[in-house]
Amino acid sequence: MSPLTLIFLIPLLTAIVLLFVPARMERAVRGMTQAATGISLLLALGVFTQFQPGQGYQFVEQHDWMPSLGIGYHVGVNGINIGLILMGALVAFAAACSTREIIQRVKEYHILLLLMTGGILGAFVSLDIFMMYFLHELALVPTFIMIGVWGHGEDKNFAAFKITLYLSAGALLALAGLILLYTQIGANSFDLLVLLDHASEHNPGLNIPMQNTIFGLLLFGLGILVSLWPFHTWAPLGYSAAPTAAAMMHAGVIKKFGLYVLLTVALPLLPDGATGWAWVLALLALGNLLWCGLVALKQKDFTLLLGNSSVAHMGFVFLGIASLNLIGITGAVLVMIAHGLLAGLAFGLAGWIRQHTGSTEMEKLGGLLQTMPFVGGALLMALMAGCGLPGFANFAGEIAVFFGVWQSDFKIIAVVAAWAALVIGAVYMLRAARNLLHGPLPAIELGGEDARCCARLPFVLLLIALLLFGLCPHLLTNKITPAAKTLLPPANRAVQSAHNQ
Amino acid sequence: MPLLLASTGNADAATAPYLVLCLPLLATVVILLFTRNRPGASATLSIGAILTSFIICLNLFSDYKNEPLTGHTTWLAIGQFDLTLGYTLDRLSLLMLLIVTGVGGLIHIFSWGYMRGDKAVPRYFAGLSLFTFSMLGIVLANNLVMLFIFWELVGVSSYLLIGHWFQRPAAGDAAKKAFITNRIGDFGFLLGILIVWDQTGSLNFETLKAGGTVTTLGGLLIFCGAVGKSAQFPLHVWLPDAMEGPTPVSALIHAATMVAAGVYMLCRLYFIFTPEALVVISWIGGLTALIAALMAVQQDDIKRILAYSTLSQLGYMVMAVGLGGPTTAMYHLTTHAFFKALLFLGAGSVILAAHHEQNIWKMGGLRHRMHATFWTFLVGTLALCGIPPLSGFFSKDAVLAQAFVGNKILFAIAALVAALTAFYMFRLLIVAFLGMARTNHARNAEESPEVMTFPLVVLAFLSAGAGFIGIDTFISGQFENTGTISNEAQTNGMIAGLLAAIIGIGLAWRLYRGVDKDPLPEILGSPARWMRQRFYIDGLYAALNRHSQEAVATVTDCLDRWVIAGLGVKGSAGITFVTGSLLRLLQTGNLQTYALLLLLGVLTLLYFVLT
Repeated sequence: MSPLTLIFLIPLLTAIVLLFVPARMERAVRGMTQAATGISLLLALGVFTQFQPGQGYQFVEQHDWMPSLGIGYHVGVNGINIGLILMGALVAFAAACSTREIIQRVKEYHILLLLMTGGILGAFVSLDIFMMYFLHELALVPTFIMIGVWGHGEDKNFAAFKITLYLSAGALLALAGLILLYTQIGANSFDLLVLLDHASEHNPGLNIPMQNTIFGLLLFGLGILVSLWPFHTWAPLGYSAAPTAAAMMHAGVIKKFGLYVLLTVALPLLPDGATGWAWVLALLALGNLLWCGLVALKQKDFTLLLGNSSVAHMGFVFLGIASLNLIGITGAVLVMIAHGLLAGLAFGLAGWIRQHTGSTEMEKLGGLLQTMPFVGGALLMALMAGCGLPGFANFAGEIAVFFGVWQSDFKIIAVVAAWAALVIGAVYMLRAARNLLHGPLPAIELGGEDARCCARLPFVLLLIALLLFGLCPHLLTNKITPAAKTLLPPANRAVQSAHNQ
Repeated sequence: MPLLLASTGNADAATAPYLVLCLPLLATVVILLFTRNRPGASATLSIGAILTSFIICLNLFSDYKNEPLTGHTTWLAIGQFDLTLGYTLDRLSLLMLLIVTGVGGLIHIFSWGYMRGDKAVPRYFAGLSLFTFSMLGIVLANNLVMLFIFWELVGVSSYLLIGHWFQRPAAGDAAKKAFITNRIGDFGFLLGILIVWDQTGSLNFETLKAGGTVTTLGGLLIFCGAVGKSAQFPLHVWLPDAMEGPTPVSALIHAATMVAAGVYMLCRLYFIFTPEALVVISWIGGLTALIAALMAVQQDDIKRILAYSTLSQLGYMVMAVGLGGPTTAMYHLTTHAFFKALLFLGAGSVILAAHHEQNIWKMGGLRHRMHATFWTFLVGTLALCGIPPLSGFFSKDAVLAQAFVGNKILFAIAALVAALTAFYMFRLLIVAFLGMARTNHARNAEESPEVMTFPLVVLAFLSAGAGFIGIDTFISGQFENTGTISNEAQTNGMIAGLLAAIIGIGLAWRLYRGVDKDPLPEILGSPARWMRQRFYIDGLYAALNRHSQEAVATVTDCLDRWVIAGLGVKGSAGITFVTGSLLRLLQTGNLQTYALLLLLGVLTLLYFVLT
């Protein structure tokens, strides 16, 4: 059995086992959840270290399931999803360690969290589009329930309603696109590799109008799932209302699914569609970066600020994809991984602050570096990573995206994006640091306990990963680049060298 | 530490630069992980790291054979697009390495005295070492992206150290302002890098040098980075506020090294600038030198006077580069690092003795209480004013001579700035050190401990003697193609500089000898107020930001909240509602309607099946 199967089955099976654990045994519930996600993380780490860059799909396992429809069980990793799986497993473990705030219906919460984890990790390891889609839905539904039942604030029902509406619509649109793709290609298979082979054998394949139609459906359907401007307003609201673990998982991991499908399914199967829509995508990405960055400037609640900045950062990924060249796409994947780690860290820390001070309003808080030096210090690092400081993985991805975009036709967009990234991003992140961490203690005593020993673990792990991939992005790029090359339209595969020696 | 020293003695020449670079980083990591609660150990680590780096640098310097040493390692590779971390060891970087580790080392030692008793000494030294690491990265960098990476890292270390006393709102605000202002410059810098890469296909300094100049636009965008980091007009506003940080930080980062990084970068990339770009650079430098000197004349805070003076001197250096004299700029950078670090540390000694009083009008008579501080401060002041035979005399006159050759208007401005410099420095010296003590703190001030006076004395010797150790000839080997300056120009520069200094000192002596209140506002009227209020530039920027970016953000936020979110959700909710109402029409509860619908359905199905 491939370790990939275990990575997502263990959380799912643990969820089933938890059904039979008595609800009052909360410690066992928490312990089993952490153990299950921990094992997934170790497996993902093992796969990551064993992976041979540039050797195509590895750790493959394949079984027939519904041959008449062309649906099968097929898992494997290449350079694109290997990093995402590691990131997803790490964030899932961190999320499983960040559930202290939940005191009611603890068992149900953890079952949902495990379903989420298993679902999204399964979606990332799958090579069968049907399975990919199904497992993503499995991860998505718990998000809605978690916000609705365990959410924060007065708006939580509205937030849950809104996120459900948007994400269901997006998923539906994407489903329509995928089914259309399936019928139009006519390989009678949902298997990604079969579809790719079929497409390369039947050149020129689909005609351009049909490619444009399908790519459009996928772009907007998946785009809604990733909070593409102007379909983004569900995200800040949803993340601010969501319980900590749900926000970490959704903003960090589940949201990357739309991008992942866009990259691995839509780009290689619909090269002409991608070329046709690149302009639109670049413009909408600018919407994310500039618009949502400006909106983030005006937020008074820290979680809303984080939500908007998280949406803004998706702009880098979209921009990298729109560049349609190797540097840009590699950069986009780097940003996906880095942002997942960062979103997990930032929402985890925000959750800690909310749990221990009872507020995330920036005007009420202040001087947190004095009352909670560890959490404050980690948050400062997260904010710095968020405004693209070198040393953190985000910078490596962002700089690659800038070079990629500069190589494409979107230079003007790159200029505005650079302003949004370097200046607007710095303004709202440092404003948050100034209001939350610096300055005197607030007049009203809020209390606040710093994280100690074990409670620090999830934050420390996420920080280590952010720093490691920031200091040696080569660990990721040597895996991503060979795989990213196969996603590009054939004409775009050449790369400008840096002549850097 | 002895073990480290022994191993560095015969370190492989190729790895030595990495060792120089990484020792301070190692100190930061160790302090943060293991000695967070032990001030003594943290200070020892930090000081030990930078001194070891200094010794290795001396070693590299003595082994230097006129052949640049290089090395590189991959940081991020995408196919042929290979971003590397590497180093170039030539005259330029060697000189800068020695300044950063040498002057930096002295400031580290001084810090141990200055910060004793502070609650967060380990955090302070961790920040200091992080800064040293980042600054050494800038110096060693052999390509533009690496330069940019460390450029950002010095920015963040500066942010952390300005905000060391983050409990004070002013410190938090100043740190934020410094970072964001620098980011505006870096925005241009990044675009410049992209343009250079697009035009030449290269990021490496060696390849770029072979390729010659890039477009004026590309050069000027790169220059934006220097404008931010070296606090040139119009991005100068952050530096005076940065004085909220501890005084040794001001000496290290905001006087001797980091702010000089912009000048260093201009010298490093001198070959990419077109003549047009150089004209712009020289004027920005000249303008900064003038307005900063004018602002300095009416400041009362001892550190702020020195901060404006730093701005003004950096303007000198930038102007010198723009006028075609990178050698001159680097020469002045070196001597300035000595005497400005000396002056800031002297100010730190005074501030500590006066119980954190920084207003010079509340000092006075310190000459009698603090001998070492006074005499070394006097040496620094005279060097800054360009009095022979101190180091500032040689380097400043080189700048003036450069201006005499290049542009007569800039020459006039530079001479005026020299007079202003002598004036405000002697205003500071007379008011703070001479005359009678004005407050009890000043009356009872005590000389600082030896750990602080020792660096002062060493820096005083360097400030005094740096004109004689051949810095200019050493660095001129780096820039072979820049023209030499005629003897006539040098004589003119010398005369102008000396005359200006004498006029400035004389005026200051007449106005400030034995007074307790600044007489200048009455003599000058409103211009004095403008100088004191920094020509209202900070307020102007705040208003500009409020009415541009912040205003746009407010509008965007409203649109996002009410239009996009509104239409999106209300729209889909509306559709759901309408669909629901329509469906309700079907659900009448009337059996006959249902039967009719059923019949219609069957008929439709039949139709499809049969045809």
